[in-house]
Amino acid sequence: MIARPKVGLFVTCLVDLVRPQIGFAAIKLLERAGCDVGVPVQTCCGQPAWNSGADRHAADLARRVIDAFEPFDYVVAPSGSCAGMIKRHYPEIFEGDAAYGSKTRALAEKTHELLSFLVNVRGMQDVVAECSGLRACYHDSCSSLREMDVTDEPRDLLSSVRGLELAELNEPEVCCGFGGLFSVKYPEISERMADDKIADMQSTGATLVLGADLGCLLHLKGRMQRNGIAMEVRHIAEVLAGMTDDPPLGAADT
Amino acid sequence: MTGRDDILSSIRNRRVKTAPRPALYRPPAVPDLVTVFVERVRFANAEVRLLSCDADVPVAIAELLRARNLPAVLHVPPGAASNFAWDMAPGLSLEASPPGSEDAALAIAPLAIAETGTLAYPAAADAPASWHFRAGFEIAIVRVENILPHMETALARLKERGDLGSTINFVTGPSRTGDIEQTLEIGAHGPKALAILVINA
Amino acid sequence: MNLDPQRFREAGQSALADPGLKVALGRLKTHFALGRTRAVARYAGDWEELREQGRAIRDYALSRLDSLLETFERNLMARGGRVHWARDAQEARDIVLGILRQNGARSIIKGKSMVSEEIGLNLFLEANGIAPVETDLGEYIVQLREEPPSHIIAPAFHLSKEQVANTFRWSHTDLDPSRLLVERSALVSEARSVLRARFESADAGITGANFLAADEGAAVLVTNEGNGDLSRLLPKTHIVLTGIEKIVADLDDAAVLLRLLTRSATGQEISSYVSVMLGPRSPGQTDGPENFHVVLVDNGRSKLIGTEAEEVLRCIRCAACLNHCPVYAAVGGHAYGATYTGPIGAALNPGLMGVRMAHHHPNASTFCGRCAEVCPVKIPLPKIMRHWRAREYASGLAPKTMVMGVSLWAFFAKRPAFYRAAAKIAARVLKTFGGRAGTIASLPLLNGWFAVRDFPAPQGKTFHELWSERNDGAR
Repeated sequence: MIARPKVGLFVTCLVDLVRPQIGFAAIKLLERAGCDVGVPVQTCCGQPAWNSGADRHAADLARRVIDAFEPFDYVVAPSGSCAGMIKRHYPEIFEGDAAYGSKTRALAEKTHELLSFLVNVRGMQDVVAECSGLRACYHDSCSSLREMDVTDEPRDLLSSVRGLELAELNEPEVCCGFGGLFSVKYPEISERMADDKIADMQSTGATLVLGADLGCLLHLKGRMQRNGIAMEVRHIAEVLAGMTDDPPLGAADT
Repeated sequence: MTGRDDILSSIRNRRVKTAPRPALYRPPAVPDLVTVFVERVRFANAEVRLLSCDADVPVAIAELLRARNLPAVLHVPPGAASNFAWDMAPGLSLEASPPGSEDAALAIAPLAIAETGTLAYPAAADAPASWHFRAGFEIAIVRVENILPHMETALARLKERGDLGSTINFVTGPSRTGDIEQTLEIGAHGPKALAILVINA
Repeated sequence: MNLDPQRFREAGQSALADPGLKVALGRLKTHFALGRTRAVARYAGDWEELREQGRAIRDYALSRLDSLLETFERNLMARGGRVHWARDAQEARDIVLGILRQNGARSIIKGKSMVSEEIGLNLFLEANGIAPVETDLGEYIVQLREEPPSHIIAPAFHLSKEQVANTFRWSHTDLDPSRLLVERSALVSEARSVLRARFESADAGITGANFLAADEGAAVLVTNEGNGDLSRLLPKTHIVLTGIEKIVADLDDAAVLLRLLTRSATGQEISSYVSVMLGPRSPGQTDGPENFHVVLVDNGRSKLIGTEAEEVLRCIRCAACLNHCPVYAAVGGHAYGATYTGPIGAALNPGLMGVRMAHHHPNASTFCGRCAEVCPVKIPLPKIMRHWRAREYASGLAPKTMVMGVSLWAFFAKRPAFYRAAAKIAARVLKTFGGRAGTIASLPLLNGWFAVRDFPAPQGKTFHELWSERNDGAR
């Protein structure tokens, strides 16, 4: 383990635009884990372009990310989806590429999803945080589960949050229906998938929904709001970093 | 250019990859052939009885028919009748004609597979393949020494014996369908029931 | 009844509004997926090792496809079978009709064959005065209802038993109208007795094949009902319809794939019947076909070799991907308007039907990856779907609004200074739209989002703004 590694924070475009405090929560956790955090110039990992089949745009954006994050020991994103794009799909884009092939592999090697990084690389076992008397459920995003192999890590860290009771969903492996542009291309199917996921969440008796991918959370909270379902939604980093003073997603500013 | 030429050249012109031949798969070992076979047969919704000799077969068959309220009539493929002493079950009458949809028929299985509780039936002039599907109730006979661990072993044994013939039927349990509400119903177009007599001589 | 893949959205919307269909689709989880999970857990060997072996067997076969097909042909012909090669659907239909006419076959029975659906065989034969009767229970039911099958291995998956009973009542008109048809077993019994006469009187049987084995010159049929074997053994002529990609090196390879197939499909260790078909009846045999024909169908498959979609040809048609797909679970098979549905349809149809015709299929996916996880031969299904999206984009077939949106997004994303300025404005504007409630109910663009959701309002400043403020403050 590197003594004081330099971590490049991959903020993600959704965190940047919609909920910066997730970025600050991630920084707090990374610093607590003994890292020096830097935020190089960045915009987007290119996933919307990649998933749309706009391969040239995706490659252009990817090169910028690869170059910007090269100086760091690690790249950490508070998102399974963006981390997955860099770790799993950038190598697909630049396989056999003379200029970027090995640089991409090097970057992919050192790219991690936030929770997995804290637990598996930095050995973090608990956090100093409190979430009085709340019952929460955790939403595993498909990319966290299947691209980044994140399973126990969020649960391990949540178990150390004082006052927080964690209930498991009945079907954590089923997609919530966000899928990036899918949510706007096939809204009715996306709606059905969201409703099924929300019903599962409600059945646990939880009043707080936590997750590590903001895209999923925005989609689910947006659907809850449309249907008048009152559950609080936060990114898990906010709870782990003890930054729950600000209102949760889509809630009124009090 | 024939269809054959076009298809083969289409494949050849496009092929980029070569892939190695994988090593032969080693299926999970079967610890006790008879025990596993019996357990798998039952799991597949078929009945199985262990008999100690050929002489016990006719009486066992008569009992199987009685237990299902079926008439004491057994369709027997050509040549198979002479293997057994049918006078031990005097009430049982034998028919040489192919079985109908509600009839009981005898089948001799030269080989069986323990892994899945499967009977192997290479078709032959004296072992018509269609009988395994025509009958309402198939009663099969297999010798314990012919129970092999896996399908691969059964295939190898059949190849050792010579030409594979025109068709081989691997039968596991009675016919079934899940086509209505994805719910299992035993007995579709093939036999509605299967019983296996294992001769442990 | 949707037969047009381009109407996927409309057909999907109708499907979502159908409460009976929702009940039927619930069985994907409670019956199919649960069955597979249990069977995989029960497997005495290492399941992942078995999957890897399956992948290697299929990749080896695809890499030697031409020579294996030639070996298969040679060995089958040596035993008196006939092999035909069909470049496309029309040629396949003509070959089948030719064989039937040559043998004077008038009454035809069929076992389940997805290739026969793919090539539109039944309608073609009916138009030529020969009406084939489906004998697989699910296929029989949908044939009576004049519907296509809705699931690759369970044709009548979308129906309730009441719907099946009604179908039998208005079809089997010479049976006693007052008979009870409440239990599933009664329905199965009725199909058994109605169809038994057909087996006996048919001149020809047409089935599919799950595998072809080159070394032995064998076709392998994996079934449960017994209709497949009755269809192939009783009539004088038997025709096997199969895709060219079904071939493996030998029966041992087929035995490995069989372990994967039945567990992945129905949760069985093995199906009731595994039939190895090597040729016409041998001298002295009293049953079995006198004429045994195998029709090898290309219909777009060979074109996928050497492309990024090649791995789709590994498919052994188990339908595990369908059974675990949340999109298929929402809309069912008919919405796809194609023979192959669910994730395998999404990965295959643009290759078989063209990207334009099948464009919805690879697009209607969240890339959740569940399909690839359960695929017994490890087909990277989302990767192949994405490949088709890229082909669509590169061919100029992607929707203009989306292309413009992505281009605009990319324009800004490649220029961080512009991006940050735009994001600052957007964050404020969206926060304002969100009002006191903190949520946005609609925006001029992005109708797709707001049709079904609100958008939780942003906090009002971007991360990069706040990060700069923090660092400036620190200096």
